[in-house]
Amino acid sequence: MSEVVKLQLIGLCVVGLGVVILLFIKGQFLRVIGFVAIVLGLFSLVALAVPQMASLPPAEESINIADIKTPTDMATIGQKIFFSKGQCALCHSIGPSESARCPDLKGIGAKLSREFIFESLTEPQAYLYLDYRHEGIPKEYPARMPYINKNPIGLSKNEILSVIAFLQQMSGEPISVNPSELDLPRATPAPVKAADAGTVAVAQAR
Amino acid sequence: MMNQGLNVTNHGRQIAGRMALVAGCAALLGWIGSPDAAFAQDAAAAAPTAYRDLPYIGSRNLVWIIAQLHLLLAGFVLGVPIFAWLCEVVGWKSGDKRYDKLAKEFTKLLTSSYATTALFGGILLFLLIGFYPKLMAYLTDIFFPSFLVYCALFLVETATLYLYWYGWDAMSEGNGKKFHIFLGFLLNVFAFFIMIVPNSWATFQASPVVIAEGTDFERAWAATWNPTWWPVNIHRIIANVVLGGYICGAYAGIRYLSAKSTEERYHYDWMGYVGNFIGVFGLLPLPFAGYWLMREIYQYNQQMGITLMGGFLSWLFILQAMLIGVLFLGSNYYFWMGITHRIPGSEGQYRKPIMAMLIILLLCLAVWMTPHSLVASLEEAQKMGGTHHPLLGVFGVMSAKMTVSNLMVLVTFMSFIMYWRAGKEDTAGWAKVAKSVMGAVLVLAGLAVIVLGVWGYFVPAIIRINYFSTSQVAIVIFVMLTITPLTALLLKSAKTTTEMVWGKMPPRAGYSLVLNAVMVILLMTLMGYARSSSRVHWHVYGVMRDSSQYAFSPALGYAAALMALNTFLFCLLVAFIFWVATMGDKAKAAAGAKGSPEPGRIPAMAGGAQALDGAVADRSEHPGQV
Repeated sequence: MSEVVKLQLIGLCVVGLGVVILLFIKGQFLRVIGFVAIVLGLFSLVALAVPQMASLPPAEESINIADIKTPTDMATIGQKIFFSKGQCALCHSIGPSESARCPDLKGIGAKLSREFIFESLTEPQAYLYLDYRHEGIPKEYPARMPYINKNPIGLSKNEILSVIAFLQQMSGEPISVNPSELDLPRATPAPVKAADAGTVAVAQAR
Repeated sequence: MMNQGLNVTNHGRQIAGRMALVAGCAALLGWIGSPDAAFAQDAAAAAPTAYRDLPYIGSRNLVWIIAQLHLLLAGFVLGVPIFAWLCEVVGWKSGDKRYDKLAKEFTKLLTSSYATTALFGGILLFLLIGFYPKLMAYLTDIFFPSFLVYCALFLVETATLYLYWYGWDAMSEGNGKKFHIFLGFLLNVFAFFIMIVPNSWATFQASPVVIAEGTDFERAWAATWNPTWWPVNIHRIIANVVLGGYICGAYAGIRYLSAKSTEERYHYDWMGYVGNFIGVFGLLPLPFAGYWLMREIYQYNQQMGITLMGGFLSWLFILQAMLIGVLFLGSNYYFWMGITHRIPGSEGQYRKPIMAMLIILLLCLAVWMTPHSLVASLEEAQKMGGTHHPLLGVFGVMSAKMTVSNLMVLVTFMSFIMYWRAGKEDTAGWAKVAKSVMGAVLVLAGLAVIVLGVWGYFVPAIIRINYFSTSQVAIVIFVMLTITPLTALLLKSAKTTTEMVWGKMPPRAGYSLVLNAVMVILLMTLMGYARSSSRVHWHVYGVMRDSSQYAFSPALGYAAALMALNTFLFCLLVAFIFWVATMGDKAKAAAGAKGSPEPGRIPAMAGGAQALDGAVADRSEHPGQV
């Protein structure tokens, strides 16, 4: 017997109990309870009659540095970080957007050097970004750029380089970041297996 | 002896209430203190515990039930002071003591219901710390300063409540009354802030913003001011008014059904009218607040909006339409019964407009409940050329639903105005002009809403959402803001042709009041599930992933069963609170009845009192209206 059928049976029993109470009990409070039971039972039955769709979480992905062979691999990982752990998309858009609270990053990889992007992520207050998308005096963006390499986001150098690779790739630029620049995990008892142990969880916030 | 016993009981209840509040605050402080412990654990263990579970029932189900009960109780204890304060102001302005008494008796509920709410808050806190330590440490790290503000607010709220409740009789006249009303206002202001502080925690989970460097306070403030914070604040405050009103109505309905004497029937009929009135008063602007919230969600993250309206939660909105539809029908039905049973001779006069309104409401409900994609077999889908029905599919889109929801609000508003005007004859010289203006405004507004709805099919979605839907809402608000003051002005000089007779409603009126309250509670549980599930597998959307075994969102049927259970448990809790709060009055009434030859004395909960008994007979044929 499936879960839906079990719940339908329970719903029917609740409705039936409510009907019995209304038919045979004279106490007003109990009769009201019976009425409420009928209403709640019917609500459950209707909810069980519509398509039953659960939302299953996607599999958690982990990044193995040993698997990163090309700059394109880095860009792929950078894209995932951009939309998850990096939280970049909470404020930035790629292309014009009314809801973006910070500069549009479309083509940013072509406009800025990788060093400048790295500095913008790790020293965000070094330069002030202003919004010129309106008439009159430029304004500050509503949200301030956080330090991406510190808490609560806390991206590692590897992750920041991957994000830069993604920004360059989506701007149509050649990717100037190379997998050889990635820091390999250290201080493991068995150095030969270090690559296996050095996974980076993508979606963990802290 | 009996009085002594009652005093002891009351005192005991107050002590219990205070203890529960202290327990709630202690629990909160425990939560605040927990990060240190968590960090100490972090240092000791390589992998700190992220989740704990409970066998059989499951940690999520238990948290779901307790959190839902806590939130519903919180809505109740925030809604009741608004309801009570409104009644007190009406009583003060109109001089009708029944409103003041009603306000006082509902305020009395607050002492026990605050304690119960704090108790469930404390339980919830312990469960959250135990089941979700990693998430709680993360949120504490961000929101610590707002926890302190929350504690401070509880202190001033409790102090104000004590002054408001214990000072009621001492501040019943002159400037004292004015000060008392000011205290009631303060109570609601503090209650509002108590509501919006935890709202910031919950809304941050759904629409987090990036937190830059800064002091603890700056970081907490940045997280608090997230895109859905104010839409949720406004939506919840209105919903609390609705909840308070309809629960008062349901209580009155139950007592009306079991009333033994004419006086009791009179009072509970009147109380049901007041509860339904305030419930509808809040219900009318509620869809607009909901629309604003949904719009902000779409603006914040289109994917989240799509998950809600077009993804796995889309069928939830069909259920929502059903519940809101029943609520609108129930509220209107109660108005219509009021017209036909409380105003003798009006049945024939109002039959046609009532029938027209009923048909419009049913048609609107049918359109609102039409799903975008029909449940069809493969064969049926092939015949239709997809899951979209060639005719009904037209009604399944947002343009149609916005149109009918606005029309339903308009019809309910007119139902309310009709009830307000029933039994009155205009005497003002400009009455004809005013009525023509009101009629024209209503007809033109209805047509404009429909035209915009149809036009909405032929424009891009962004234009429809940003301009057409907002214009529809603005039109309906304009109608309310025009017709309400005009009607009030007209009725100031109107002559009463038929007096309202209270206590003549049939038993089904009591059941309709109970039904309305159940619908509101179910709606709150349903939309709570929607808001929570829109985060899908994230504790904090896009920031902290739920990696527990309960990261999935259950299907609607399973969720609805839990919602029904939560609603039932909440109803029982509220019934218990009412029972406890009125226990002393019943004992008093019984003692009074023994010493008095008058039969059928009205329980104080009904707004009746010994001092009012004389007034009851006078007022039974001349009741004041809100």
